[in-house]
Amino acid sequence: MSRLNSYRELEHLREQLRSKRKDITTTIMICGGTGCHASGSQNVIQTIQEELSRQGLDSKVRLCVTGCHGFCEQGPVMVIEPGNLFYCHVSAEDAFEIVHLTIMQGEVIERLLYTDPVSGRKVRTESEIPFYVSQDRQILSQNRGVDPCSIEDYIVAGGYSALTRVVNNGFSPEDIIAEITSSDLRGRGGGGFPTGRKWIECKEAHGDEKYVICNADEGDPGAYMDRCVLEGNPHLVLEGMMIGARAVGANKGYIYVRNEYPLAVKHARIAVDQARTLGLLGENILGSSFSFDVNIARGGGAFVCGESTALMASIEGKVGEPRPKDVHTAIDGLYHKPTVLNNVETWANVPSIILKGSSWFASKGTERSKGTKILALTGRIKNTGLVEIPLGTSIHEVVFDIGGGAVNGNAIKAVQTGGPSGGCLPVGKFDLPIDFDVLHEAGSMIGSGGMVVMDDESCMVDVAKYFLTFLQNESCGKCLPCRVGIDRMLEIITDITEGRGRPEQLDLLEELGDTISQTALCGLGRTASNPVLSTLRYFRSEYEEHIKDRKCSAGVCKALITYMVDPEKCNGCGVCLRVCVHNAITGNKKEVHVINTQLCQKCGICRSECKFDAIKVV
Amino acid sequence: MLQYVNVNIDGAIIKATKGTTVLDTAIEYGICIPHLCHVPYLSDIGACRLCIVEHVVNGRSKITTSCTLNVEEGMVIRTNTERIRKLRRNLAELLVAQAPNSRAIQDIAVRCGVKEVRYPFRNEDCVLCGRCVRVCTEIWKARAIGFVGRGKDRHVDFPFGIRPDFCKQCGSCIQLCPMTIPPCNGPMKPGEERLCGQCESQMIVADQIPGSCVWCELGEGFACGRYA
Repeated sequence: MSRLNSYRELEHLREQLRSKRKDITTTIMICGGTGCHASGSQNVIQTIQEELSRQGLDSKVRLCVTGCHGFCEQGPVMVIEPGNLFYCHVSAEDAFEIVHLTIMQGEVIERLLYTDPVSGRKVRTESEIPFYVSQDRQILSQNRGVDPCSIEDYIVAGGYSALTRVVNNGFSPEDIIAEITSSDLRGRGGGGFPTGRKWIECKEAHGDEKYVICNADEGDPGAYMDRCVLEGNPHLVLEGMMIGARAVGANKGYIYVRNEYPLAVKHARIAVDQARTLGLLGENILGSSFSFDVNIARGGGAFVCGESTALMASIEGKVGEPRPKDVHTAIDGLYHKPTVLNNVETWANVPSIILKGSSWFASKGTERSKGTKILALTGRIKNTGLVEIPLGTSIHEVVFDIGGGAVNGNAIKAVQTGGPSGGCLPVGKFDLPIDFDVLHEAGSMIGSGGMVVMDDESCMVDVAKYFLTFLQNESCGKCLPCRVGIDRMLEIITDITEGRGRPEQLDLLEELGDTISQTALCGLGRTASNPVLSTLRYFRSEYEEHIKDRKCSAGVCKALITYMVDPEKCNGCGVCLRVCVHNAITGNKKEVHVINTQLCQKCGICRSECKFDAIKVV
Repeated sequence: MLQYVNVNIDGAIIKATKGTTVLDTAIEYGICIPHLCHVPYLSDIGACRLCIVEHVVNGRSKITTSCTLNVEEGMVIRTNTERIRKLRRNLAELLVAQAPNSRAIQDIAVRCGVKEVRYPFRNEDCVLCGRCVRVCTEIWKARAIGFVGRGKDRHVDFPFGIRPDFCKQCGSCIQLCPMTIPPCNGPMKPGEERLCGQCESQMIVADQIPGSCVWCELGEGFACGRYA
């Protein structure tokens, strides 16, 4: 393909590509995202491809390896159009059947259909699956049908139309900013800072050079929204960045992506190269006066480099440590030049706002939080994966309607939102709408969108300990409250979980958490105490139970629990005896077994292996 | 020509040189803001967080370090409010629990009103204030020492742990180190840590007039007005 010199040439190319694809009767969309890749989608893709060429269907059937569809738990997943047929848990052995029965004869293979865990019935099409029904997939739906490695796919799907709009003379940078400002788009990375205000600040700042950066350094445990968007639709992010650069007057951009996301790095690189070949990046884009280029900067995996100033230091080649932000990075950012830094998801929202208008975007969501948000729903629920919901949806809806409720009939106790910077909200707060300000007031935050559901087998003290351990390892160590404060908090919590807790330590914990959140240097430090403060606020009784009764009712804190055999349920089958690696279980066949508490390491293997539920935790 | 701005620090309208920090201005006018990592001739990194102040903007106060905050016309700063004193005391408590074996740290703790330490003492040799690293990098341009590691593993070391040729052993790093000043009763043994004996008499002053000067030993390093 040659360089495009005007927006008319782009439209022409789009028409050409579309007419080329007229003959295609069937499209198979297989998820090639990381989740499905791990479940073996690569084999499936290969065998289906081979089978299609053997049958001579290459020109009629398009096999499209897409980015993440969101329903990672059921991976590898595939959707066949027309018919919107949804197959899950597909393996390479099914490829032959899929091609011969479904593609050639139009039959549905019952075995591969999705079974709804709530009602137990088979679901035929993607649009009927309860997991998808309750969502509003504005960004994730653009992953469908687009091969992330192919700019043609993106152009056919209507990509870069927003770009043509803004490089045209009719749409000035001021118009872009006005549109973004009136859409009330807020940063999706965690802070929820109004994007429009950031852009205005950067546009008005003095500087011969300005930068735009895409923050794809996602490091929260259990969250992978940005990864999937960048992996699944890198051109969408690029287009957003181009519009942002046009708006603030930047000529250079960076995508800062973790090196641990190899697929995201690869796809972003391919996308940038393809856009350069077409002249969508580089000098005089589409024949206009606008020049812009993007570089990929790879991060070494430090959690703290997701913080804006640390990220910029890292791009500059310095140690990734935050610096005081008394002046916004929009004025004094990368190389001390005005810089706009936005999250992947924020950038991905921009093209649709320009195309469909700010009022369309603002029609979704609540008073102060507009649009949709992608959440990574994980934990002890039936359906896990990426969900996209309009802001303002209640937590209850996400956990029970989309997530399908708890597994194994357990009761759901809490939900942890916002990763290590967020907090835990109890079931009583599930009516709260997912909204930047509401969750913040409740002591948690949307953050980047991680959502971990916990049931009554989770100990909240242990959850707080887990996040503190994570933060202690990921703290850069520059400032005292974060480095030492988190360490001391962890020390106290470890005391509590190991049965050495004292009642006055709870107040100390609260005071220390408050000190950290007010005095730490960077945003990550300031929110680092949230997991502890929110669990203390809503689950204080659990802490008190650990301290006063030396008990962990969830059966998680090893120092406070004992494993024992229920003599009424044990029938002496001997399974536990065989699986115990510490030889702590004794007993004769057909007799009640006994656990030697001295030898028992509380690993829990016997409990999970016992078919009669005879091993108890006290 | 020097330009001046008017800054309100603790109610006093102060004529401050444009381009200086709030901390420098306050010290120049004899308002003591406790600090550790700040050295007048080095760049400020805001690591110890002891010099926090309330910066009142549009009626809302924001907590920030005064060493990294530049003076601006009409700025309102509060250095000695109840809230600040409490936060500072908690920070100093964390600090002194890390390194009770330093007179400088002990004095800072007393100055910030720490009366009891609620954490087990640790006897670390370094509080990572970064004075040594900055003097080596910025004044001598030697870069012979630097921070290594992240978080809990962060420490000051030579490149790859070997003393390089470009370390001239000038000793500037040692001179600036707050850990080189032992507390009055000699180094404390592990398990016997306490807040320094001499400071207890000073504590009475600190009690009666919160936030007042206790003639801390590190005054010279502070470039405190008293020692000027």
